[in-house]
Amino acid sequence: MRGTLSLYQRTSQLLFRGRRRATNETYTLIPSISYCTNIDNNTIDGLQSPRVKIFDREFKRKQRDRAAWLMRPGDPFVDAVADNLLDRLEDCKKTFPTALCLGGSLEAVRRLLRGRGSIEKLIMMDTSNDMVKLCKDAEAAQQDSNQNIETSFVVGDEEFLPIKESSVDLVISCLGLHWTNDLPGAMIQCKLALKSDGLFLAAILGGETLKELRIACTVAQMEREGGISPRISPLAQVRDAGNLLTRAGFTLPGVDVDEYVVRYSSALELIEHLRTMGETNALLQRNNVLKRETALATAAIYDSMFAAEDGTIPATFQVIFMTGWKEHPSQQKAKRRGSATISFDDLQKQFSSDS
Amino acid sequence: MGLSSKPLLKLAGEGISKTLSEILVCPVSKQPLRYCKETTSLVSDSIAVSFPIKEGIPCLVPRDGKF
Repeated sequence: MRGTLSLYQRTSQLLFRGRRRATNETYTLIPSISYCTNIDNNTIDGLQSPRVKIFDREFKRKQRDRAAWLMRPGDPFVDAVADNLLDRLEDCKKTFPTALCLGGSLEAVRRLLRGRGSIEKLIMMDTSNDMVKLCKDAEAAQQDSNQNIETSFVVGDEEFLPIKESSVDLVISCLGLHWTNDLPGAMIQCKLALKSDGLFLAAILGGETLKELRIACTVAQMEREGGISPRISPLAQVRDAGNLLTRAGFTLPGVDVDEYVVRYSSALELIEHLRTMGETNALLQRNNVLKRETALATAAIYDSMFAAEDGTIPATFQVIFMTGWKEHPSQQKAKRRGSATISFDDLQKQFSSDS
Repeated sequence: MGLSSKPLLKLAGEGISKTLSEILVCPVSKQPLRYCKETTSLVSDSIAVSFPIKEGIPCLVPRDGKF
């Protein structure tokens, strides 16, 4: 009896302490029930707000504005990825009269299109005003085969796609979707925007990206500051990409991976390149202070751990290419379960009698 | 979602191109937008928010909308 009483007292005390802690601390971590898109309510139109915010979208917008000012046209890495993505359009017999091009390397996609996919109307969308303006100016200056494409420009957020459902034949996103907080939600909205038998094509950076920098940053921070903070964003793994496509409801999903190794003369140049691509850190929980000492230590560690014989340093970029189609009766699919009319035993008998 | 085939933007024309007026909807509610001539903006009546058009580029980021 006494035992139970003390147990009761202890519990009540614990409860009390818990309550007090909650009121005292301003920054309490509230555990969320699920770490992925909310399926239960209002998924019907794919318009759920993400519960977990990982990236600072507003900050990413500013970074992309700055990237628009810094950008040099004809970045070899971006062009290689955009070209690879657009090559996929040549593999399909279908034509895509209306196309929507989302964030990331917009300008490269526009420039390298060269009549692929016989696009007639192209809508270009980005979260950054300046990036869209840059594309508009580039389009006005350009005198080439892309002249016959009617291009329109919109500033919009991939997480809140302002496109009417079943209105475009193709959605292209080149190196942009890895900055969305709610990737499944964004992909569901893309699927809704697509017409029946429309194609979704996306290139995102995968988990192996910048592994050298990740290591160098961690080592330098441990050494100089005695702890680490996230400097490089979490990225999707290859195995996740397939799941994402099926989850968004795309049929005939396809995923493939390409690794690009870019060589720089120093780590500072790598950071400069990331900045011109608008791919710098935009985590919500980022550390806003980067000490000069730590930055230089990172560069030194990067150099000593990964430098090649000729003094250049490699940086790996893993790009995941995703393709998916919106369902259409003409697409091939597996037969309904239990709809078979011939038994496997009969098949075996058939083959054994033949031989 | 029961969107009818009627034109999404009434009175669209000089503000944005025809292609855009045919496919743009409110980013939050996915309902039709209305073009407002006086303020050169796109108005989403369903959530009572207007989105600006800057230099012919409609800006449909939810954060840029004005009540």
